[in-house]
Amino acid sequence: MSETPTYIGFEEYSEHVPPCIPLAVQQATSRFVGGRAARVAELPQWEQLRQIGSDIRQHTIENMDVYLTCLEEKVEGAGGHVHWAETAEDARRIVLQIAQENNVKNVVKSKSMATEEIELNHALEAAGIEALETDLGEYINQLAGTGPSHIIVPAVHLKKEEIAALFSEKLDIHAPTDPIELARIAREVLREKFLNAGMGISGGNFLIAETGTLVMVTNEGNGRMCTTMPDLHVALVGIDKVIPDWESLTVFLKLLARSATGQKLSTYTQFITGPRRAEGEFGPKEFHLVLLDNGRSKILKDPIGRDVLKCIRCGACANVCPVYKNVGGFAYGSFISGPIGAILTPQMLGTQAARELPYASTLCGACADVCPVKIPIPTILRHLRRRVAEGDAFALPTISTPIRVTAMLTSLALAQNWMYRLGARLLPIINPFFRKNNWLSGMPYPLNRWTKVRPLPSFTAKFRRWWNVRSAKETESTR
Amino acid sequence: MTNPIIENIRHSLGRTAQSPLSLRPAIYEPRLPESIDAEIERFLSEVKKLSGVSQKLSSPEIDSALKTLITDQNIRKATVWETPHLRQLGIAEILNSLGVELVSPNANKHEMALCDLGITEADYLVPETGTLVLRSSAEKPRAVSLLPRVHLAIVRPEMLRGDMHQVFAEAKDSNYLVFITGPSRTADIELTVTLGVHGPKNLYVWMLR
Repeated sequence: MSETPTYIGFEEYSEHVPPCIPLAVQQATSRFVGGRAARVAELPQWEQLRQIGSDIRQHTIENMDVYLTCLEEKVEGAGGHVHWAETAEDARRIVLQIAQENNVKNVVKSKSMATEEIELNHALEAAGIEALETDLGEYINQLAGTGPSHIIVPAVHLKKEEIAALFSEKLDIHAPTDPIELARIAREVLREKFLNAGMGISGGNFLIAETGTLVMVTNEGNGRMCTTMPDLHVALVGIDKVIPDWESLTVFLKLLARSATGQKLSTYTQFITGPRRAEGEFGPKEFHLVLLDNGRSKILKDPIGRDVLKCIRCGACANVCPVYKNVGGFAYGSFISGPIGAILTPQMLGTQAARELPYASTLCGACADVCPVKIPIPTILRHLRRRVAEGDAFALPTISTPIRVTAMLTSLALAQNWMYRLGARLLPIINPFFRKNNWLSGMPYPLNRWTKVRPLPSFTAKFRRWWNVRSAKETESTR
Repeated sequence: MTNPIIENIRHSLGRTAQSPLSLRPAIYEPRLPESIDAEIERFLSEVKKLSGVSQKLSSPEIDSALKTLITDQNIRKATVWETPHLRQLGIAEILNSLGVELVSPNANKHEMALCDLGITEADYLVPETGTLVLRSSAEKPRAVSLLPRVHLAIVRPEMLRGDMHQVFAEAKDSNYLVFITGPSRTADIELTVTLGVHGPKNLYVWMLR
């Protein structure tokens, strides 16, 4: 990347989170967690779907060059234009150039993480082009001058009274505090903008290599407006969004909305292959697809870390994350928050600028349990912690033979009930040799690797007895 | 011309331009349709769950159903897909006789935006999710199901498909497809569900038998 990334101080940011944010975020996450659980319960083949989804994403990543080459050919065959952007700066320059060549003054945008990633709005505004967010939550955030606190409901941290005050001030009207009325006002204001914009900018949920099709999933209809009303449509999409074919898409469409909002499908799913073919059908005269790399091709180099690119951006991992629920989206300091942000941002910006993010997790594993494409988030977090500590080495560190043998034997013993019991009985035998008060220290090699840093508590083999007594007491008290 | 991004990807993956495409993992068996009556019921009940209004109708009942809709929703202007089937049903004539002003579906967007009602068919229906699938052409413009505040889709049982697999197999050559699953919605302000934020607020689906 050409720009030096800003340091992300997760710890500092999370200390300054006002209490209203976790409160609002938890209302949203509990709604989505409940909705997801209900949809998953309806679908007996859910686990099978997740496995297939994961396998297809893995396969796509491993063959990404082939699918992207095919995609480019098909989009151009359908009359669209394909642009490749290696960096965020390239992407901004490409979009700006398309706008300027077509003399565009007003742009309408549907929600897109990729445009947030490259901070496109600033670039457009600096060139004197109005760039308007049209997703209701994003529109509110744009008026307020803040970023998204949640991937699905980006303005959830604002109360209706605050939004009403904001509308009254910025739109010079008297806005009531009723959410339905506020949505109606936004509809009217934005309707005019849609009809008069020279260009629509969108992201994309998937790119189908088989036919060169852009797939967009939205609920409000603003995505349809942005891609139907203006004569020019520019889609900015990360190269990781490519999928092989329409058959694969059935799997992801079944996984996405259920995981994100607890809907079976979002309201509008659009499948766009090139520009309009007939004058009267509506839709853009020109279709441009900007494929954004911005560090993704480099992520592919890390065989453990690259699984982050399987992500289909549902936000389910954030909804169950105990850390995210207590700090909200802002603390992650990047366009994408939650556990997925904690493993993506360090890989995009480098583990120095985002060195705190892999530690922004309790490693509880709830995220991996809900991920629709089975990204092993805790494994990648641990891997990135090592990269932070060891200066970004992808390769597994070499472990000395004694340590490896000890670890192997330990895992063998811990996995067998009888060996564990036997070990627990036998270990207290060594106590007298190393014991100082209740601690063991000065053990021989290789155990001294541990004891020279800190002593071990002495072996007492009391746990099992304690546990049995405790269980008996509990059974007693619940009777 | 070499593409640096593709080159970087190949380098990271340890591949070359000659590396073969590995076999794509197999997907699952699509859902199989039940009896036609069960499929119709399932489709209509899913639309209802999404806050849509759905019902079964016979062709002679269209007249009175349209009259009720126009009164209930206070419709003054409407636009209709110019498909053979909707023409055969005489939708435009009925609307005319009810005093509704008709706007051509190919009119410019500003004029279309003034319509209260847009009437379409659907090319396919997916019962599991209550989804209408619409293609796009000069006779079936995209704006009819998008700009008016009320969207009515007049559909027939033969449009039902077992699962979206079958829809994709038949329609993946279209330059534009849209899945419509209920009316436009948002929960962006305090998680309050609000219908009709940018697209239609009311969705009616009539199944002709």
